[in-house]
Order: sequence, then structure tokens, then C-alpha cells
Amino acid sequence: MRNVMTVFKKEIYRVISDKRLVLTVFIVPGLSIFLIYSLMGTIISSQMTEAETHTAKIYAEHLPSSIETIMDDQMRYEIVEETYTRDELETMILEGNLDLVMIFDEDFTAQIEAYQGSALPSIEVLYNQSEQHSQGAFSRFQGVMATFHEQVIIERLENPEDYQVYTLSPSNIMDERAAAGAGFAMLMPMLIVIFLFAGAMSIGPDAIAGEKERGTIATLLVRPVKRSSIALGKVLSLAVLSLLSALSSFIGIILSLPRLMQMDDNLPDVSIYGVSEYLLILALLMSTVLFIVALISILSAYAKTIKEASMLIMPFYFIAIIVGVMNSFGADTSDAALVHLIPIYGPINVLSGILMFDFMLINLIITILSSLLYTAILIVVLNKMFSSEKIMFQK
Amino acid sequence: MYELVVKDIKKTFTLSKKQQKIEKTDQKRKVAVDKLSFTAHPGEIYGLLGPNGAGKTTALRCISTLIKPDEGDININGLSVKHDSLEIRKHIAFLTSELKLDDFFTPNYLFRYFSNLHGLDEATMHERKAKLFNRFGIEKFQEVKVGDLSTGMKQKLSIAIALVHDPAIIIFDEPTNGLDILTARSVINYLLEMKTEGKTIIISTHILDVVEKLCDKVGIIIDGTLQVDGTLSSIKTNSKDGTLETLFFDLMEEKVGEDHA
Ligand SMILES: Nc1ncnc2c1ncn2[C@@H]1O[C@H](COP(=O)(O)OP(=O)(O)O)[C@@H](O)[C@H]1O
Ligand SMILES: [Mg+2]
Repeated sequence: MRNVMTVFKKEIYRVISDKRLVLTVFIVPGLSIFLIYSLMGTIISSQMTEAETHTAKIYAEHLPSSIETIMDDQMRYEIVEETYTRDELETMILEGNLDLVMIFDEDFTAQIEAYQGSALPSIEVLYNQSEQHSQGAFSRFQGVMATFHEQVIIERLENPEDYQVYTLSPSNIMDERAAAGAGFAMLMPMLIVIFLFAGAMSIGPDAIAGEKERGTIATLLVRPVKRSSIALGKVLSLAVLSLLSALSSFIGIILSLPRLMQMDDNLPDVSIYGVSEYLLILALLMSTVLFIVALISILSAYAKTIKEASMLIMPFYFIAIIVGVMNSFGADTSDAALVHLIPIYGPINVLSGILMFDFMLINLIITILSSLLYTAILIVVLNKMFSSEKIMFQK
Repeated sequence: MYELVVKDIKKTFTLSKKQQKIEKTDQKRKVAVDKLSFTAHPGEIYGLLGPNGAGKTTALRCISTLIKPDEGDININGLSVKHDSLEIRKHIAFLTSELKLDDFFTPNYLFRYFSNLHGLDEATMHERKAKLFNRFGIEKFQEVKVGDLSTGMKQKLSIAIALVHDPAIIIFDEPTNGLDILTARSVINYLLEMKTEGKTIIISTHILDVVEKLCDKVGIIIDGTLQVDGTLSSIKTNSKDGTLETLFFDLMEEKVGEDHA
């Protein structure tokens, strides 16, 4: 046990006293996530404001004044004065010099008024779905025409009140806390697992495969230290470091959320969760990170070089991401107890549940205990690997 | 006082495809050490002399408990490498240029780390450190990262760190390999010093000169088997012209069937 602590302390010291590692493991993940997400948020919001304030350039023939009135009300636009041929108009739309072309029948208004028996008046519209502004102008124009349509119908009815066929009285009785929680539950579990994995990946291969590659592990193996102490010391230290690294990413994302979600610079309200939720999350994450780190340690112990270790870890990393994505965007959380025996999937599932204030204690317990059990099994394997001359001294 | 008895050890490796190419063989298995036996006594330096690939490193790794012999056993004061490896490691030091120190740490940190692993108390650690660092001139570099030390200083530090627990048995694979003359000389002198302190010392080498300078007893190992085993002087009497060199090359020729000189 004393040697577990000695190895543990050395591994921690190795990372936190190395400026380069502190930077790459604790600072860069959080900072880069913060910068990337903030930048994305800024770009998205500037695009959105630009689209909202854009004045649509419209070419119109025989535009009825009744429709023009509605347009004045509902959209920002200017009418192009010159006349063009059909071909010219198409080119202008394609090149983005014009957002919308609308050609009304010459006697559009007359036809609408004399509606019974006569043919339907038509409007020809040209727009470009792949141009943001053109597409926006078209959809606003559709809104305008819906209003116009309503006006016409009401005029045609003997009793205008007949247009109203029901009353709708929705009341949103959402639980603010659960709604906010659902937001967190959507993204956070996936991100947290990815962060834990990424954190462990940034140090695990170096701490184990690196020691093999550099020939420093044998220096340790000739000492009277149980292999299990080395395995435990490494896994525990890597777990703590990975948690800290994940925390850095986590802070980065929390700080960048206001920008990303256009939430008027209010930080997301993480205070909706109480001490008990945070403690449960911590317990859950500790057991999960132990499993992840033990897995990465085994792969790193098997590999001969850091590079090989990173390559071996990749597929597992992708599986973890896929599981996370499935949880975020796919099937909703399952209450079936057995699925919580599945590593990574179980923790993500329960984490979503905790964040939504809706989880079953038994599932949390199953998840934590099974993670710990798998970790124990992996550590036994790791211990065997550290004792194996084939693995440690392979040529 | 610790006597070391190597008894009939055999070690076979399974060769990977890559190794088969390097060794120019299509055999899947390689007997690296075969029926090797010798005894090393306290206050003596035992030298395993042999060409590259003879099985010296393999034999020393078995003694150091890094790998286990398939057959036979090695006994140190009644402890067996097969069953008491943890206990044996408390009494031995294994030195080789293949065992590296992490570039990132300082001599002070490493000395403390390995002392802790051996369970030394603070006072003993300081006393040993003062002695060893002084002996090898490491004091000035105590707080310099290993990566920034010269090769010679690194090697000296390796030795100091290997000896934190004042082991009774010192096992040194190719002690002068890759060392400049000055460092090699200081290493050789230190081993002689350890011998007078009553340590049991086993070295391996392919350099005749090292044997002449250091060893009290010699075992000549070729192709995994011990050809000759005895005191340096008694062995020389078996040689046509009384030199170790002639004996060695005669044995090589006999065994391998070609002149390696
Ligand atoms: N881990 C290993 N796997 C496979 N073959 C090995 C291994 N270690 C040593 N050998 C082989 O065993 C033989 C003896 O090697 P070694 O003990 O290193 O010789 P020496 O130290 O005398 O040069 C060589 O042929 C070597 O290739
Ligand atoms: Mg060798």
C-alpha cells in the first residue's frame, strides 16, 4: 500500500510539475473548447443578425397594392425598378444579385374579386434555395401570401366570424428546472465521457507505453515492488489526472455556452443542481474514469510504443463517442436495470437521468458497482501484464 | 553475506517473425541459456564472458528476477527466484545500460523515490545519498534534470540509484558498455571497492580486458552453455599460451566452427 502511494505521487508529480504537460493536459483542452465554441457562437449569431436585417432585393411585375401593404408590414425589401428578360432574371437570381422574382398575372386583383367560375390567377416566383437571402426572402413572402390568403377568404365569407373554427388555449406548464436539466442532459453526458477519455488518452500512453519505450519501467520492475502496487498507483494517478483534465474541458464548455446558445451572456444555470446531484455525479464519474483509465492502461501496457498505444486506444474512443452520441440524439434513457451493466453506456444513461432529475437509485448503484467490478478485473489483468516478461521485455 | 547459486537454468524464447529474420533462422524457438550453473561468493567478482548473443543478458535477467528460468533455479541465501522474487529484489541491484532513468526528474527526486520504494527511513536515505553522490561526484548536479546530464553522469547516477538500498548482491550487465574511458575506469574502481566491502558481484562482458581487470572467477559462455568455469588463474592454465585471449578464441572456434578473431 505504501508503494501504491509512492508510485501514485510520482505519477502526479510527473505531470503537474511539467509546464508542457500542465499546458497540454489541463489548460489547452478547456481553453481550446472555450475559444472554438465561443467563436462558433459569435459566427452563428452574426450570421443570424445579418440574415434578419438583410433587405431583400425583389423584382416584381404587376404587384397588387393589397399584397404590397402586407409586405411592407412583414418584410424588409426593396423593389428593383429596371425591367429584365426572363433569362436575365434567372441569372441574377443564380448569381445572388437578386433575391426574389415575383410575376403576378396582369389582372390578378380582378380575377381574385371575380372568383366564381373564372380560372385561378397565378403568381410565378423565382428564388434560389441555396442562397441564404433568397431562401429567406421566399419564406417571408410565403408568410405574406398566407396573410393575404386569409384576408381574401374572410372577405368571401358571408359571416367573417365563420373563419374562426375553434379557440386554442395552450398553457405551458413546464417545470423550469426540468427543462433546463433536459438541456444539460442532452449534451453533457456525451461530452463528459469524451472529455474523460481524451484526458486519459493524453497521459495514459506516455505513463505506461512510454515507460516501456524509454526503458524506465524495468528500473522499477527490479525493485521489491509488487506489480499490483505499480498497476494501482498508475491507474489511480491517471484517474485523478484525467478527472482534472476533463474538468478543464468542462469549465471551457460551461463558459462558452452563453455565446454558443445566444443566451445573452448569462452563464448556464448550473445551480439548478444541488449538492446531492453533484455528489452523485462525482461518484459516477469517479467509477467511470477508473474504468476508462484501466482500459487505456491495459492497451498501453500491451503496446510497445506510445504511438502504438494511441492507435490501439482509438477504436475504443470511437465506440465511446458513438455510445455518447446515441444517448444524446437517439433513444431516450432506458430504465431497464440490465443495460446499466454495459460499461460507458450505463454511466452516460444514469448521468442523463441525474441531470434531468429523473433516475433510479438502483440503476446508479448497478452502474457504479459494475464499473468498479470491471475496473478491478482490468487491474488484475494489468497486474498480470506487468508480471509478464513477454509483455514487458518483448523484443 | 549472500552467496548466489545458479543451478541448471534453461531459458527458451519464442522467436517472432522479425527476430527469425535477424537471427537468420527458421526455427521458432531459441534456447538462449542452457543448463547454466555457477556460484558467486561474497567478496568476489564473477564474470560471465561471452560473445554477443551468447545468453549473458538472459542469464543476468533470470538472476535479477526480471524473467523466470524455464528449468533450474537460482538461490540467494535460501531464497529462490522462482518463488521469492519480491524478497530477492530487496537484496540485489541490477545494473545495465538498458535500464533508464526518466529524463524529467532530478537526481534528488529519483534517489528519494527509489529509497521510498525500498522503504528506507529519511535518515538512512540522506546518509546513503550523501555517500553515493559524493563518491560519484553527483552533488553539483543534484537538482539538474537527468535529461540535461552528460552520458557519463547519467551512468554514474544510474549506479548510485541502483544502490540506494545497499544491496548485498550487485549484478552488472556489460559494465563498461557505452562509457567513456574516464567513466569506465571509475565504474571499475567502484566495483573493486564494493568487492572489498564483501559484496557478491556478477558481471557480464564480451571484453577480455574487463575480465582481466575485474574478475576473480570467470565463466565463459558460448551459445547459451557454460564452457569453462573457475578462477581466472586456474582457467589460464588451460590455455595453450597461458592467456585468456587464446583460450577464449580456441573455445569459440571449437564451438562455433569458425574463426571469430
Ligand atoms: N525476449 C527475447 N525474445 C526472444 N529472443 C530473445 C529474447 N532475449 C534474448 N533473446 C535471444 O536469446 C539469445 C541470447 O541473447 P542475450 O541473452 O541478449 O545475449 P548476450 O547478452 O550474451 O548478448 C539471442 O539469440 C537473443 O536474440
Ligand atoms: Mg547482452
